[in-house]
Amino acid sequence: MALALTLSVSALTLAGCAPTRGPSGAIEVVGAEVQYGDVLAQIGGAYVHVTSIMNNPNTDPHNFGATPGVARSIAAARLIVQNGAGYDSFMNQLEAASANSSRVVISVAALRHQTAAANPHFWYDPATMPMVATALTGDLVRIAPAHAAYFRARETTFLREWRAVTAAVASARAQFAGRRVATTEPVGDYLLSAMGLTIATPFRFQADVMNGIDPSPQDIVTQQRLLTGHAVGALCYNAQVTSPVTQSLVDLAAANHVALVAIYETMPRSLHVQSWMLAEIAAVRDALAHGTSTRSIA
Amino acid sequence: MHWLFEPGIWSNAAVRTGAGVGVVVATVSALVGLFTVMRSQSFAGHALADVATAGGAGAGLFGFSPLAGFVIGSLLGAGAMEAIGVERVRQRDVATGVVLGGATGLAALFLYLITLSSSSAGSTQSILFGSLFTVSNSSFGVIAVVAAAVCLALAALGRPLLFVSVSPDAARARGVAVRRVALAYTLLMAVTVGLSAIVIGSVLSTALLIGPPAAALRLGRGLWTTLALAVALGVGAVGFGVVASYDSYYWWPSHRALPVSFCVVALVVLELVLVNVVVRTTRRRDAGARV
Repeated sequence: MALALTLSVSALTLAGCAPTRGPSGAIEVVGAEVQYGDVLAQIGGAYVHVTSIMNNPNTDPHNFGATPGVARSIAAARLIVQNGAGYDSFMNQLEAASANSSRVVISVAALRHQTAAANPHFWYDPATMPMVATALTGDLVRIAPAHAAYFRARETTFLREWRAVTAAVASARAQFAGRRVATTEPVGDYLLSAMGLTIATPFRFQADVMNGIDPSPQDIVTQQRLLTGHAVGALCYNAQVTSPVTQSLVDLAAANHVALVAIYETMPRSLHVQSWMLAEIAAVRDALAHGTSTRSIA
Repeated sequence: MHWLFEPGIWSNAAVRTGAGVGVVVATVSALVGLFTVMRSQSFAGHALADVATAGGAGAGLFGFSPLAGFVIGSLLGAGAMEAIGVERVRQRDVATGVVLGGATGLAALFLYLITLSSSSAGSTQSILFGSLFTVSNSSFGVIAVVAAAVCLALAALGRPLLFVSVSPDAARARGVAVRRVALAYTLLMAVTVGLSAIVIGSVLSTALLIGPPAAALRLGRGLWTTLALAVALGVGAVGFGVVASYDSYYWWPSHRALPVSFCVVALVVLELVLVNVVVRTTRRRDAGARV
């Protein structure tokens, strides 16, 4: 992937600056999450200027608040890709605040017909990114028909590269189907399910951690027993968002020699969506096949 | 009775630690809070809680322990209130209001910065509304030591404090250092609010400071009985609050447990209401008997 593109202008550095202007004539596009911004960049290539809004793997996306710089990027955008399902509802408010009839908004939740999903981390589903790529290619072609062939060629390349991800998922499924894993949050659940794994952690526990409230003591004990009793092959924890509860579970897993897998909620900036998913799949394979922990993929 | 006393409750380490912390903190809060109510300093207590919020949020932002943040924040707030001047009740009101406003603004800034820069899930929720079941055993030790120190200091301060609280002018005439006693008490109250914030969160922490002593005072007994009643009501609210929160997991098929802080504060309010009802009916009966 030789994509030397200016990806993601941080929301913080934007605050107080003039509205972003790409190279002259470039289409202003926004990815509400950096992983969607990455797909926009891979397909839009030289003809788009991408701003990714939630782009910092060190913050909790569920607590994100929009800054004035974000509002300016959205006002200038012709095409926006956002997750939806309540994950980035601040986007809807900012879009409503700067109404623009020529702006196209792709909601991934709507693409998946899952606008009220309990687990909004759609990008971890291996089926999602091809859908997003196809949808945004169609919109880019409508916005700049002159470059249709360019966009379509890059879409083809993206979809071809993505086959490595689906192949890795399929081979993991053949090897590990039915194995049990514990998680701290539902971040990677779509991928883990696609790999045929059983998620032993109660969803209520995962949702409580995701929503920033303390899980009940009973659910914490259930989770602890999964680790101390070696009832799971790995603890897939959210590397990006920690609390005293999740930290104590990570420590407990380490003490009991349960392999740890760092699941990133936001794409690390050194990777692309394909290499990111391949790294996560490899981390889960290492944990289940060799008991090896992966605490950082970036 | 399964729904009320679920058999496994005391085998759960988090619940044991939480209940222990709750009982210790409820005891100190009741003892210290009795003077808060007698001295009409409830508003100051609440302002200290708001400063504790800023302290807790600052601790979350810079990675310190929340207990240290709550206690240090609250102590700084007490110092600020004293510096502005709290000698007369009217000045006290203004000083308290100024500190409260400033501290809440600071808390808003810190909580905002936490969402931008740190990766702590739910810090806002646990700072404002408490996270009793996540208190670690080592924090329990620190809390117990701090609580014991507050109790000892209160015992040492007790006699002049009572004198100053009941009739400040007479105390001043007798040569009691009113200002110094008041300052010492405000500092004790600050530490207590910080401890209470660990149990039910900084915003709710005055509920334990004010509620049980107010109910005990309403019953109108002597000093020692009132102190004992206040402690009993405080410990009761926290103890049954912990049990109710734990058991509420079994009350609904969804297993959505109620937060501890809600259960504790609901029981404090319930105690106040019940005590008021009891006091009114007995008074009416007494009045009727006299006729």
